[in-house]
This record gives sequence, C-alpha cells and structure tokens, in this order.
Amino acid sequence: MLRTAGILAAGLAAAFALNLLVANAIPPYPALVINLCGISIILAVSLNVINGLTGQFSLGHAGFMAIGAYVSAYFTTTLRYFDPEAARYISQAPLLDGLWGFPLALMAGGIAAAVAGLVVGIPTLRLKGDYLAIATLGFGEIVTILLANFRQVGGTKGLTSIPGHADTFWIYGAASVCITFSLFFQRSTFGRALIAIRENELAAEVMGIGAARMKVIAFIYGAFFAGIAGGLFAHLMLSISPANFGFMKSVEVVVMLVLGGLGSMTGAVVGAVILTILPEALRDIEREVNLSGLRMALYALILILLMLFRPQGIFGQRELSLKLLRRLVPGRRKESP
Amino acid sequence: MRKALGVLALMAVALAAGCGTKIGPGFDDKEVNLGLFVSTSGEIATFGEDTKKGVELAIEEINAAGGIKGKKIKLTHYDTASKPEEGKAAATKLATQDGVFVAMGAVASGISLAAAPEFQKYGIPMISPSSTNPTVTEQGNYIFRICYLDDFQGAACAVFAMNDLKAKKAAILQNQDDAYSTGLADFFEARFKKAGGTVVAKESYKKGTTDFNTQVTNIKAKSPDVVFLPCYYNDAALIAQQCRAQGLNVPLLGGDGWESDKLVPNAKGALEGCYFGNHYAEADENARVKAFVEAYRKKYGNAPSSLAALGYDVVYVVKKAIEDAGEFDRAKVRDALAKLKGFEGVTGKFDIDERRDARKSISMLKIEGEKFKFVRQINPSEVE
Repeated sequence: MLRTAGILAAGLAAAFALNLLVANAIPPYPALVINLCGISIILAVSLNVINGLTGQFSLGHAGFMAIGAYVSAYFTTTLRYFDPEAARYISQAPLLDGLWGFPLALMAGGIAAAVAGLVVGIPTLRLKGDYLAIATLGFGEIVTILLANFRQVGGTKGLTSIPGHADTFWIYGAASVCITFSLFFQRSTFGRALIAIRENELAAEVMGIGAARMKVIAFIYGAFFAGIAGGLFAHLMLSISPANFGFMKSVEVVVMLVLGGLGSMTGAVVGAVILTILPEALRDIEREVNLSGLRMALYALILILLMLFRPQGIFGQRELSLKLLRRLVPGRRKESP
Repeated sequence: MRKALGVLALMAVALAAGCGTKIGPGFDDKEVNLGLFVSTSGEIATFGEDTKKGVELAIEEINAAGGIKGKKIKLTHYDTASKPEEGKAAATKLATQDGVFVAMGAVASGISLAAAPEFQKYGIPMISPSSTNPTVTEQGNYIFRICYLDDFQGAACAVFAMNDLKAKKAAILQNQDDAYSTGLADFFEARFKKAGGTVVAKESYKKGTTDFNTQVTNIKAKSPDVVFLPCYYNDAALIAQQCRAQGLNVPLLGGDGWESDKLVPNAKGALEGCYFGNHYAEADENARVKAFVEAYRKKYGNAPSSLAALGYDVVYVVKKAIEDAGEFDRAKVRDALAKLKGFEGVTGKFDIDERRDARKSISMLKIEGEKFKFVRQINPSEVE
C-alpha cells in the first residue's frame, strides 16, 4: 500500500514537472505529441486490464472513450445547436465552470463510461473470444449512432469550442493514477484472480473465483479510465464528433497492446508511445519524397516487421522492474570487459 | 536528495528557457511557403488527393507566370489521415515548425475544426477549400472558407424544387449518421416550408444501408412531387433504382455529394432527368472553367472533381489576397481576405462575407445520359 502511494506520488510529481517543462521549454508541436502520447497510454493501460490481464477480447474501448468525451464536454462547453422545429440556434451556458469544473467533468465522464461498462458487461461477458469481440464492437457502434442522433450534443456535427483544459499535468496526472492503480491491481489478489481467469476460466472457478463478477469489475475499471481518456481527448482537441470514436479507434488501442506485449503494463505504455509517435515521426519523410500514402505504408511495414521478429510483443508478459534491470546490467558487463 | 536537486535544476532550466513561441515569417527573398493539410490516406483519401492535385496545378501555373509578387510558391503538405488528432498535429507542425505564411485545408470539417484553433492562436490565415460545417469559421477571425455552406446548399435546392420543378410537396430521405446529410435535410426542410411548400415525408436510414424499400414505400404513399436525397453518389444511385422499381417516378434532387464519375453507371439509368447542385459545372462555357478543365485533363488524365476545382481556387484566393494586401504581412493578408469581393474562380464568382464564408452561387445540373447538363446558377440573393 505504501509502495503504491509512493509510485502515485512520484507519478504526480513527474506530471507536474513535465507540465512545467512543456509549458515553458518545449515547442508546441512536440508538446502536442507528448500530450497525445499520454492519452494513448491511459487508453492502452486501461484496455490491458480487460484484454491483457483478464484475457477478454474487447473491441469497444472507443465507445467508452466517446461516452467520457461527450459527458465531460457536455458539462464544460457552451452548447449551441440548431433546432429545426423552432428554426433557430439554441444556446446553453456551461454547467461546470471554474477551477474544479474540469476535474469534476472528467470524473463525470469516467463514471458515465463505467456505468456503461457495467450495463454492457453483465450480459456480454458471458460470451468468450470472438463472440465477445463482436458484442463489444456492436456496443461501440451503438454509442456512435446514439450520439449522432442527439441534437443537444451537435448530432453528427459533434461539439465544438470545447475549452482547452487538458494540459500536460492533467493528462499525465491521470496517466499516473491509471498506471499506479493498474499495477496495484495486477499484483493484488484481485489481479491474480484475473490472470487465473485468463489462463483457465474453469480452473479459476474451481478455485473459488467468481469469474463472472471479476470480469465485470475488470470491464468497469477499463471503461472508467477509457472515459477519463475520452474527456482529456475532448479538452485537448477542442472539438469532437461521433466519427472520432469509430471502430478504427478501438482497433488502434488493441494494436498498441499487441505491439507492447499483451498483459504487460510496461508493454502497454511503450506500445502506446511508439504508435503515437511513429506516424508523426514519418511526416518529414513523406514531405521530402512527396509521395502520398508513403507514411502509412511505412507505418504498416514497421508494424509487420515488429510482429515478425517479436510475435509476443516488445515486452511479452514481462514488466520493467528493478530485477529486470539488474539482470540486464551485469550481462552487459560480461560482453565488454 | 541528489535526485531531487537534479529535478529542481531541470525545472530551473525549463523556466529560464521559457519564452513565447516564435513562428517564422513564412517567406524569404525568393519564396513564400504555403501550407496544405488534407487527408491523402484513410477513409476520405480520394477527396484529399483531388484537392491536392488542384492545388498543385494552380501553384505550377502561378510559378510559371512569375509567382506572387515575384516570389515563387513553395508548398508544404502534411497528410491528416482522415483523423482529427492528426489534423491538429499537422496544423501545429505547419504553424510552429514550418512557419507557413498561409495554410490551406482541410476537406473534412472535423479536421478543419481540430486545426483552426492552432492557426488562430498564431495569427496565420487558414482557408478551407471545402469544409461545410458552419462552426468552422466561427473558430476565429483568421479562419476562412471558399465553398458554400450546407445551409445555403440545402436552401438553394429547396428554392430550385419550388421555382424550377414547381413542386408543392417534397419528401426527404436522409442518412442519419452523416452530418452533411442531416444538415442539408434540415435546411432544405426549413426553406421549403418557408416558401409555402409541405414536407410530406422525412425518412432516415443508417450508414451502410443498401435496402431502402421500406423508406421508399413510405415516401411513395405520400405521393410527393420531388424527393430530396442529401447523400453521396453511391447511396443516391441505389435509392434511385429502388424508387424507380417501386414506380415512384418523380424527379430526384441532390447536393454536391452526388458528383462522381460513378453516379450514372451505378444508377443504371434510374437517375435520368434528375437534378443536383454542384460547386462548378464541367460543361460551363466560361473561358476560365474551360482552360482549367483542359489543363487538369492534360496533367492528370481525368476530369477534375469539385474538390479539385476548389483546391485550384484556394491558391488563387491566396494570391489575390496577398496582392490586395500589397505586402507579405499575415495581418494585412487576413484583412484583404475579409474584404475580398467579386473574386472570379472556376467555382464561380464570390465574395467573402462578414462570417468569413464565401457568398457564392450554386450550379444546378441535370443528368442527361452520361453527361451533367448545366441548367442554371442559383444566387445567394434568390435564397435569402
């Protein structure tokens, strides 16, 4: 417990320092990429609890993200929409304002996503493997279709003029909380139970683990942080529309996990950072060659090569720990006497 | 302790180095750097590709004729991969790293909305060739567009249905998942009612639908004089066939989403004699349009789409604004853009209004065989 508090405190301090650095010394473009990386980290680490630890294949993460994004932005934004019945624009002042408005709105988004996780989780988690993937995929589609039909949140046009509250501190602060809790989870009795379910659900149940309940809890946990990530995304992008949270967004997060190593929290972080930076890093190459689509072709090629040479992902199921570091360091000494 | 000191030292350095972001002037003695951000990969890659081709053709022509006030145009393009977060990243990079003089883009409104706050923050004029969401130019006084909006397009179609097709009863079939479709439908409905007509049916379908028979049956039962189809060409072709199969033979009417080489072949004759509104007409007899179509065909081997035409025009708008401003100064170019009147492009003659949107006419086209016949232009004054 003390250890967890220590990690959390260190994470928050690092977020604070990084925010100072980004605000004062880092040019806007790298700063934006750093912020996007933070959001990807939250998404990947939270999905890792569902897909990696518990071994359930969810493709609905973008749906939870959308709920978090819309709920939080609904509270902080001046809403303006066209009412065809009255044939005029209707305006509504932000419901949450001021210093505590943003964190409260973020929490609201996270909680709304968690509730959705509960509602979706209870019926669908009886399904396994491909069937669960299809059910969660369906959930993601339902969310975007529902949002597209609510005029109050802009319908298909989405919300615009969202205040830019999400700075590096909030993003990395949330990422620290997400990583700390997930690590704590992984090492707790609860996490062991999840891993047992992943390895053999029947055996886990025989051992007295309530698999159905555990899976729903993991699902709610993942959905909550996906909602937080969505809220941060909305307040960083300043405009959102249902199309932002389609099927491809969910797939992107799954690819981050698979690349980093399914089940490894370190892997999730590394996968998220690599997949967010890679397309940006390839921009200059495409500009110099002036060949459209080259960037995405290279991106895909790099992914294929990584998967060919490390099919278990960069980290496999290992975590970056002091033990692993200690094992690596003497090894190097032997090579260069 | 040492670690803590290290962190403190780092923070001190960070604060000392802190300064406002300075962006480049965007031009030197020989060149002016223009930025472009459109999606050349992802779902809407063809739209971005066409826009980019139009932009590149215009730049080639301008550079061959001596450039803008003696400076050649250098184009810096970043792909936005049909994703708003990439649009924001591309915009930030164009503004702060390349320091472009003026930025052009994007096609999709979602991407323009993500990019606009960045250009506004650094005082770089941004001109979207084809984003139709009204909120795009509300993002700031440096954000412009040169296409007409969905509200005008929807209303113009309503006026055309009323005045030219003599319709009293209209039906609408919209794609409920698409902002473009619902936007056009809403504004068509409002204008048609205002002109004294009645909307007898408003049916919706989901993205990816291929069987529209239920909706068509409902519409047919209300016997409308015209059916408004605010959708893209693939849906329009399918709906038209199913309307004709059920014996609903009234004219069908659509917006610029219908424009495609594939519209007529896909519809298998079902759209014969139907109408749609577009940004420009390839068959227009205007000399400027003819020269553009010819040059485009020569360079790329196919007819230009509306997006290519708008991409072509956006570069000439930038040129005109810089010439009007008289010097390479972003604030003065912004003022010149805001005051732009009577610009003659291949997509028609237009003014920039007080909302920084283009006030321009729409070309109504009639489908005759394989050709789109130019019917007439509807001017903004007719619709308002």
